[in-house]
Amino acid sequence: MEESPLHPFELHNWIPISLGGLDISINKAVVIMWVVVSLVAVLMVMAGSARKLVPGKLQSMAEMMVDFIRGIIMDTMGKEGMRFFPLIATLFLFILFCNLIGLIPGSYTVTSQIVVTAVFACLVYGLSLIMGFLLHGVKFLGILVPPGTPAWLLPLMIPIELISQLARPISLAVRLFANMTAGHVILGVLFGLAISGGLLIGWLPFAFTIAMNGLEVGIAFIQAYIFTVLTCVYLGDAFHLHGHDEHAH
Amino acid sequence: MPQFESHFFSSLIFWEVLSFGILFFVLYKFAFPGILGVLEEREKKIKDSLDQAERHRSEAERKLKEYEAKLNTAAKEAEAILAAAKERAQRLMEENEQRLTTEAERIKGDATREIDHERRKAIQDIRAQTTDLALMVAEKVVQRSLTDADHRKFADEALEALSKSYQR
Repeated sequence: MEESPLHPFELHNWIPISLGGLDISINKAVVIMWVVVSLVAVLMVMAGSARKLVPGKLQSMAEMMVDFIRGIIMDTMGKEGMRFFPLIATLFLFILFCNLIGLIPGSYTVTSQIVVTAVFACLVYGLSLIMGFLLHGVKFLGILVPPGTPAWLLPLMIPIELISQLARPISLAVRLFANMTAGHVILGVLFGLAISGGLLIGWLPFAFTIAMNGLEVGIAFIQAYIFTVLTCVYLGDAFHLHGHDEHAH
Repeated sequence: MPQFESHFFSSLIFWEVLSFGILFFVLYKFAFPGILGVLEEREKKIKDSLDQAERHRSEAERKLKEYEAKLNTAAKEAEAILAAAKERAQRLMEENEQRLTTEAERIKGDATREIDHERRKAIQDIRAQTTDLALMVAEKVVQRSLTDADHRKFADEALEALSKSYQR
């Protein structure tokens, strides 16, 4: 049986629901989202209610995760960035668990849906814009002018900076989507080879499949990490508009 | 690509926003305060413990220095006492020696003087007796009266001869 490597990304409506003309049918990706939300919520709430000074395994893991995210925020935004901690931590955990659960054969990688990553990217970028204009007012437009730009270069710099700003949400969305998709495509192709190769030489691509799956676990972490770091960087840029951002030097 | 089939977008977006919102709310309300609280508490405790350890260390160091100083002074004191005792013993010994020497000197001098005295006295006694004896003998021999001056002269001559014979 030969199937398309893109087959795992296909969705089918399981329970058709319509909300005022809006199609909100339940499909596999939605169910996996629910699984992710319940898993993360249960684990973190359990860890959060343990509150032991000498933590158990679960509490240790949760604390490591939280401390890790706190470290990222401190490094990129400084202390005042901590007010975004709940949002950034939730984002990290949601993406990480989506990535990891997607690696279980037969499940679905929610983050391989570009629309899902695009929503997160728009959320992050939109928030950074709102924060920027709230904190700095019209001066926030100065983000389009790098410090020290001579006046005669402005007609050139502003379009360039505008493009780089617009590229932020797009790259944020595409990076996660593409990485998740590519990883699963490779896994699918390798596994397809293993199936069609039979026992005689099929073990070779199968071994590669297993190795790739290990690598994908790493990529799941790295992509969640990258998304989080970039979120912090973009929010941080909105926070301290260049000139008085001490961490950039 | 299946991911670009736009008829799934609305449901994915809807459910994503909803589930993310729920997760955010749950974690924000029930998970993060606890975990962050414990982390901060632990950090504080570790910092306090380290501070306390540092305090103890410096106190121990201070005490050690104190004891070392005390020990030093005690050693110096002991040395001083020992030196004083040695000096005193030396002085006593020298004093005693000197005293004994002078005492012995004095005793020897006394004894010499006494012996000398006794000897002189003995000589005088002998001389007196000898004079008397000689006079008696001479009176008997001469049987005549001689002047007192003669007596003295003869006696002295005899005595002189006698002492000469004595000395020989």
